[in-house]
Amino acid sequence: MSVALKSWRANEGPKHLITMVWIAVNVFLFWKTFMVYFSGAQYYYLHKMLGLGLCISRASASVLNFNCSLVLLPMCRSLLTFLRGSQRVTGRHVRRLLDKSKTFHVACGVTICIFSVVHVSAHLVNMVSFSVRYSQDFPALNVAQYRGQDPRILIISTVPGVTGVLLVLVLFLMFTASSYCIRVSSYEIFWYTHNLFIVFYVILMVHVAGGALKYQSNVETHPPGCIHNNLSSWTNHRAAGEKGAESSGAPQTVCQEEARFQPHFPQTWLWVSGPLCLYCAERLYRFIRSSAAPVTIVSVFTHPCSVVELRMLKSGFKPRPGQYILLNCPSVSSFENHPFTLTTCPTGKNATFGIHLRVLGDWTSRFSQLLLQQSNSSEILPMMQQRRYPTVHVDGPFGSPSEEVFNYEVSLCVAGGIGVTPFACVLQALSDDWRQYKLRRLYFVWVCRDLQSFYWFADLLCGLHERLWRDNRPDYLNVRLYLSNAQGLQSIGEERYRFLSSRLRIGRPKWKQLFQEIGRANQLKRVGVFCCGPKGMSKTLHTLCNSNPHTGTAFEYNKESFS
Amino acid sequence: MGKIEWAMWANEQALAAGLIYVTGGIVGVAGQFRGWQFAAFGIAAGVFVCLLEYPRSKRGKGTSVERTGQYCFTVCVKAFGPLTRNYYVRAFLHAALCVPGGFMLATVLGCVCLGIASLIYLSAAIHGEHWEPILPRTEPPKRVGDSIKEPPQNPPPRPPPELRRKKADKLETAAYDNPMSVTVNE
Repeated sequence: MSVALKSWRANEGPKHLITMVWIAVNVFLFWKTFMVYFSGAQYYYLHKMLGLGLCISRASASVLNFNCSLVLLPMCRSLLTFLRGSQRVTGRHVRRLLDKSKTFHVACGVTICIFSVVHVSAHLVNMVSFSVRYSQDFPALNVAQYRGQDPRILIISTVPGVTGVLLVLVLFLMFTASSYCIRVSSYEIFWYTHNLFIVFYVILMVHVAGGALKYQSNVETHPPGCIHNNLSSWTNHRAAGEKGAESSGAPQTVCQEEARFQPHFPQTWLWVSGPLCLYCAERLYRFIRSSAAPVTIVSVFTHPCSVVELRMLKSGFKPRPGQYILLNCPSVSSFENHPFTLTTCPTGKNATFGIHLRVLGDWTSRFSQLLLQQSNSSEILPMMQQRRYPTVHVDGPFGSPSEEVFNYEVSLCVAGGIGVTPFACVLQALSDDWRQYKLRRLYFVWVCRDLQSFYWFADLLCGLHERLWRDNRPDYLNVRLYLSNAQGLQSIGEERYRFLSSRLRIGRPKWKQLFQEIGRANQLKRVGVFCCGPKGMSKTLHTLCNSNPHTGTAFEYNKESFS
Repeated sequence: MGKIEWAMWANEQALAAGLIYVTGGIVGVAGQFRGWQFAAFGIAAGVFVCLLEYPRSKRGKGTSVERTGQYCFTVCVKAFGPLTRNYYVRAFLHAALCVPGGFMLATVLGCVCLGIASLIYLSAAIHGEHWEPILPRTEPPKRVGDSIKEPPQNPPPRPPPELRRKKADKLETAAYDNPMSVTVNE
């Protein structure tokens, strides 16, 4: 039981800790701002006019400030990749937290939406209060021009009102296009609406500069609630009555001067400008990096089950195994960037890098058509006419959880179908030089629906196995292949793939037994579990990592996530 | 690049707009602001829009993910036939429902959001999309093979009795051993 707790603490602990800290900061900001407006002396008159709506709207505004600044940080992908790579700067736990950056971004986004609703509702009430409780005594405090002015006029005639409505509309468009369903079916809608964030931030900067809410700047010389010589007797009586009701001991001071009001400095500029500049700098850096060095396509191979392998060359491109790139092909679509995990990294012997892409949607089918149309023509091309591949731009490399495979002594890599691509790069790096890594044993489980899929990396697996046998480390690599589609008699017949055919099993893997076996063989060790595949499989593995007590072995779960 | 399904986005927008409409309506009625009747209408219209938009349409290409518990709503919405199938009708309906919201402060935002959803629905209708219900597939039970259900009526064909008699000198080439003698006279 205590071992399962150790696993749970390693897997879930840092995540829950950060969530608690974030919630605590939000609650603290909300409460502090609420109290400032509720009982602060400089907001006394404003609070009298607007009531609770003022406090709630300003408190939610401070929470919005915090989250609008935080929401940009997890999206600075190059920065996160750099943090992941510098192993002396960040420890293992920090790197595992970086895996959850997209979830954090979503959490901040949802918080922004919820508190926007609170903020807008409170300000609508404020608009009505400004109109109904128009103050004759302190005309500088008013937003309305006369008592009883229609609040809708107030919205469209003030800068904060108009910008507020625009902000809500932009947020509405962004939020409704970000649901899982839309991202899966038409990613373009999500991408183009989400890029409206820059419009959102610009309008936000203008929104807070409106200066509708003012604080009293001379509280020392004009304590709130003091008796003024020129005020109407009704106000004096009211103030006197209140003072009497509150505490009989407080002396009734006479105001030395009139109350002066001033709009406060827009705090949002301080919160938001830093992360916004950082994010814009990062996008600029990525753009320069991707368009500086040209990418040449060296070769194209087709594999069974509609998979195309692409080998490219780019100077100064140094990815690590497990990272992914964003590919952009202007001949197919100018603005779309598609992520692909690298399956081959440049090594000393071979400077090309490669990806395997599965032809599934419209972009990939068009792209593969452009790549393969050269080989379809049967006429002999003259020497001058080379193969004309389409130009591509490569943005990246970006980090992913699979980079951590080398930092454990024992790793379990579970791949489902085309999810094998990050691990293919790992295997490639191992076959190049396995001695330089901390990794001592690798369990590789690959589940496919179609037998032909195993041929994508059959050569790589057999080659690595032979090399490890030659180097006298036969127990380093432990391969299990599963064919989940159990129809008919299927086996890998070729002689040179005998290594694989003897490790091929029909049917789904039995995870519990596998974990028990790994636990028994690696007692008192920390095993890194890496999963890249369908959701059901990764959920099962996650539960098993946390719950199953395995003879002193701790299983740490790392999941690769796609959009 | 590629065909975008506008209706799916319009559906999400209309659902969110309906909720905003309801929220604005509740704020308006609770505060008893001027023109609270419009807010009450906003609540009713918002609830109606939410109920209409809750069942997702089936996608033209690819797997459709339904919302939890949407089956009963699908059945109700399907019952209206061409009124709910056609997106022009929906676009104009949303446009008509959103107009009264503009007269009252609290429902103004609901009005604008529903108006945007109505425009996207119009775009979807112009692109020729329509609403398809997601119904559970009633697959016929998998038939393993007809022959398993019915035993064969006829015995398998056999060679004539002359060939069936094992020739003593050609034992090795005999086709099979008869457990019982099949000759007529023995």
